[in-house]
Amino acid sequence: MTDTSAPAHRQRTTSTTALVVKILFLGSVAAAAVWLIPLLIGLKAWLWLTFTVLTVAAIFALYTTKRFIPGKYIFPGTFFLVVFLITPIILTVGYSFTNYGDGSRGTKQEAINSITGNSVQQVDGASRYTLTVGTKGAVEGPYTFFLVDQSTGEAFTGSAEQPLEPVEEDAVSISSGRVTEADGFTLLKPREVNDHFREISDVAVTVDDTTAVRILDAGTAFQGTKVLQYDEAKDQIVNTATGEVFTVGEVGGEQAFVDADGKRAFSQSWLQGVGFDNYSRLFTNGSVGAQFLKAFAWTLVFAAGSVITTFALGLALALALNDERIRGRRLYRSFLLLPYAVPAFIALLIWSNFYNQDYGLINQLTGLHINWLGDPTWAKVAILLTNLWMGFPYMFIVCTGALQSIPSDVKEAARIDGASSLQTTVKVITPLLLVSIAPLLVASFAFNFNNFNAIELLTGGGPFPDNEFTRGGTDILISMVYRIAFGGSGADFGFASAVSVVLFAITGLLAAFQFRFTKFLEDVN
Amino acid sequence: MSTSITTPTDDPAPRNRMSAGRWFREVGWRHLVGIAALVFAAIPILYVISASLNPLGTVSSTNLIPRAFSLDHFRELLSGSRGPFLRWYLNTAIVCGVVALTQVSLSVLASYAFSRLRFAGRRGGMLALLLIMMFPAILSMIAIYTMISDLGEAIPFLGLDSLPGYIVVLLGGSLGQVWLIKGFFDTIPRELDEAAIIDGATHWQTFTRILLPTLTPILATTFLLSLVGVMSDFLLGSIFLTSDENKTLAVGLYGMLAGDRSNNLGVFAAGAVLTMIPVIVLYQFLQKYIVGGSTSGAVKG
Amino acid sequence: MLIRRHTFLAMGAATLAACGGGSTEKKGADSGASDAGGAEGAAPAVPKNADLVIWADEKKAAALQEPAKAWGESQGLTVAVQTVADELQSSFITANQAGNGPDLLLGAHDWIGNLVQNGAVSPVQLPAEAKKALAPVGLDAVTYDGQTYGMPYAVECIALFANKKLTDKPSPATIEELVEAGKAGGAETPLSLPVGEEGDPYAMHPLYTSAGGYLFGEKADGGLNPEDVGVGKDGSVSAGEKMQQLGKEGVLKTSITNDNAISLFTDGKAAYLISGPWALADIKKAKIDFELSPIPGFEGLEEARPFAGVNAFYVASKGKNAAFANQFVNAVAASPDLVEQMFAKNELPPVNLELQKKLADKHPEVVKFAQFAEKAEPMPSIPQMAAVWKPLGIAEANIIGGADPKSSMEGAGKAITDSIAG
Repeated sequence: MTDTSAPAHRQRTTSTTALVVKILFLGSVAAAAVWLIPLLIGLKAWLWLTFTVLTVAAIFALYTTKRFIPGKYIFPGTFFLVVFLITPIILTVGYSFTNYGDGSRGTKQEAINSITGNSVQQVDGASRYTLTVGTKGAVEGPYTFFLVDQSTGEAFTGSAEQPLEPVEEDAVSISSGRVTEADGFTLLKPREVNDHFREISDVAVTVDDTTAVRILDAGTAFQGTKVLQYDEAKDQIVNTATGEVFTVGEVGGEQAFVDADGKRAFSQSWLQGVGFDNYSRLFTNGSVGAQFLKAFAWTLVFAAGSVITTFALGLALALALNDERIRGRRLYRSFLLLPYAVPAFIALLIWSNFYNQDYGLINQLTGLHINWLGDPTWAKVAILLTNLWMGFPYMFIVCTGALQSIPSDVKEAARIDGASSLQTTVKVITPLLLVSIAPLLVASFAFNFNNFNAIELLTGGGPFPDNEFTRGGTDILISMVYRIAFGGSGADFGFASAVSVVLFAITGLLAAFQFRFTKFLEDVN
Repeated sequence: MSTSITTPTDDPAPRNRMSAGRWFREVGWRHLVGIAALVFAAIPILYVISASLNPLGTVSSTNLIPRAFSLDHFRELLSGSRGPFLRWYLNTAIVCGVVALTQVSLSVLASYAFSRLRFAGRRGGMLALLLIMMFPAILSMIAIYTMISDLGEAIPFLGLDSLPGYIVVLLGGSLGQVWLIKGFFDTIPRELDEAAIIDGATHWQTFTRILLPTLTPILATTFLLSLVGVMSDFLLGSIFLTSDENKTLAVGLYGMLAGDRSNNLGVFAAGAVLTMIPVIVLYQFLQKYIVGGSTSGAVKG
Repeated sequence: MLIRRHTFLAMGAATLAACGGGSTEKKGADSGASDAGGAEGAAPAVPKNADLVIWADEKKAAALQEPAKAWGESQGLTVAVQTVADELQSSFITANQAGNGPDLLLGAHDWIGNLVQNGAVSPVQLPAEAKKALAPVGLDAVTYDGQTYGMPYAVECIALFANKKLTDKPSPATIEELVEAGKAGGAETPLSLPVGEEGDPYAMHPLYTSAGGYLFGEKADGGLNPEDVGVGKDGSVSAGEKMQQLGKEGVLKTSITNDNAISLFTDGKAAYLISGPWALADIKKAKIDFELSPIPGFEGLEEARPFAGVNAFYVASKGKNAAFANQFVNAVAASPDLVEQMFAKNELPPVNLELQKKLADKHPEVVKFAQFAEKAEPMPSIPQMAAVWKPLGIAEANIIGGADPKSSMEGAGKAITDSIAG
């Protein structure tokens, strides 16, 4: 294993194999690209097309030459990172400049379709018809409806152009109340009707000035009115019953259809750019501003506290159990891993039950009557305690692993120098351990900084002080702001994205600051 | 792998050769610490186990020590009446195995470059990596959903509600273990690979033949960490996996509990117990690599 | 208290509707397994190109599986019923928008406002006879802005369960009587009503309305007016005062949550329980001798009105099989058979009047719930309701804990109004 010299002949064989592998790999990449690129162009999936082209280019640039050695190692992981982490982040930053959210997820056309489509009302007391859809040419239409009145059995026909009229008797054959054949028409099967439902839905067979027969399902039609109509030329929606006109106007920072008084007429709006509105809302919202700093302070305490407590316990246990002479060491280690083996959400939900003041396990076992979840201070303790339980095995595993990599001669040397076991641990082993683990602590801090689940599943941010609805006693920034973003009339992704970006910037600054600290450690090494 | 001698000066003396006082000073207190930690770790677990055996399966009827014993909840789960539990097991194994293996492999590749090779943007790259991992991921899920939905149009195999699609999304975290592994790389003396290079080995040979073997403990560790991390995901999973036969354990169990907690505690706890077991078994297997004496290789020369 | 167990209804809207965004819990609408019966070990593979795809939460999916499949066979169609593990409503909206959604959705009526503002559902045109066959509360609930958006099939509300062994007044006429009888019976807790640390406006609604509180005023056309928020008005303050009184007496406690409320009753620790039909199975399993009655109001005040939550089928606006989806809805509307088959697996009080009669003999309690629901108030389905749950719940929990009713309710009212205004 540790033989440092590679025999020359082995080197050559490896190269030949490597060459074959390389050719096969590059060949399959090229083949995949040839297959995928036209497909993506056809689907207009520009984002994925860009990914494909860039990836292929990168693979060929990196792996056909002898240069870019670091690139060869970094590329595979980076590929996934860029596609599935960085791109979504960029898209999210993009969302932060839009009104994306409930009520404005789609296009303007979709909103119009929804508004007008929802205004279709069936005429009270009008009959229903069995429907057979016919076409003279392609299955894509144009369509002609053959209808049989379900109550009278009379047969009618009509199309988008041709109003409803009784059908000539010998032109169609009817069996069990349904037109089964029609001269000169190909009749659609139910599946075909289903496949072309959208187009067929546009067919309204005029009955009189206000009502028309429309498709209901694969074999039925009904008589109804569509009260709202969109006038494309004027970009307005008209109520055909009352004559009321709705135009596009600006309400609450976004465009929507408004009535004559400029009041919003329909809940549907559409996805649109809003510039920096979401950001200015974050900084001008009074209740957010006031609570931001307090939440920020607790976020720091929570994140740092979680890291310190889990690390301290994990390290202490790793050190204590890292001794050959302990019997059942394996057993200890296995059992200490248990909390980590429980999926986090299960652990959080179970712990939240433990803290119940009257019926919870903790108060019952200890005989205390602590109001764990109702008192802000105890709730904070509860959160840290649970997070400690969930997190210490992680630190324990990592520290146990790290202890193994500390060369035994280091310890030996310290011992020979007369250091006590404690001194060796504190002055020699721990600093060495920190070198490899410090970055992990930074990452762990960052993770907890945005550890939404820990807060949400355990306390839901509570307890909330009287008359304070923005920030609960255990709310960290992310849980507080998400509640604001999603607590109004539905989810507001645009605003939530803006908040995420701001939080990201803050975490980034903090991490960069901490990074200097780890750099210091690395240099010591 | 034989156990290494971490403290070579110590004569692994049997206990009876030590005085009780010395034994306690050197070994005994460690047991106390260990037992205290065990109690802390085990109480909630005991509660889960007790709940899984409690035939009533409600929150208020569950105690730390089971009063009644029944395997009903396990039977219910395994019978499939609450969903294809065994299938979820298999799916979880596939997803965790593939993602954890890939994550460790790709991370170790990148760590090698970050630790051993010098190039422009090395520190910047490390920092960027850390920053990206910090983005509050909850939100970018909407973007990911849309992306995968589009991808599924072109390659249905990788679309929504497919295990491969879910797997590639999780692979976004492929470099998640770089920091940890790089830290360990840094502790391996550089002379080791420099010597190999001088002897005419290529960087790839140095990496695979010299460095990788010395990394066994951390590879085993990161594999476990990555695996458990993947196993716990239910947020992404519940958005992506809608068909029953595509769900993972976490998604299935979460759904079960979300439906009705007070009633379902028993079944849910049984599911949690069954989820824990493979992880513990795996740790048993990996433990010898994690704490085994593989570092001896690194310092032998 | 994290998971609200009356899932289906409402609370969902209360919390983060983010696409998976963490709110993870609260809404509990769903779950794991939909493989219908216990008989089959592994789930049948869902046909990739089913003619009709239906999304529902765990229990409803399980109940719907067989009936839907049978219906499909009779029509020559393949039907796939899928369980969505988390956040059914927001998952549906997101998936539908991306063109990956189902054709039909089974969900609570209070989602309608949000579904409509997202253009996620199409209206349904129910035949006139079908409308006549339904309980008015069911139709009422699925009507939004004058349009019918779903085919209702079940209705739920909460009611009062009394443990006859622990009280001699199984159907008290007033809350005061209930408290007195509950205390006299010697039970550990007179009443088990889930409050939780964050309050539970759903469970508290009967008390809130009895003391004169309302949530939204009505517009001229009968719809709710989001600009008239009732929280913070006089009625809500008197409700707060009453709640505080009950808190002081130890009747309402924040330590009673949705996790333990039912089991307190089934373990014989509480004389009364306020809960819904979902509690029936547990209570019967625990062999409690109980009586079911409407929740009483406060003495001399108004009638207590719980929320009614209606479950309905919705047609997705972007489903690939809209024709078949409508066909299914019309089949449900035409005859109660399909709903009756679902009832066999998931006993929800039906809204079909004929079915109510049919089931009354064998399932008197379930049908009683359907009757209580007639007097209940359909949960507001306007999207603005999402802004109400949390502040109102917190205010109620704090008031029970001793906070000033007037300032708490007014504060909550202001928070709600601000949040609605954006």
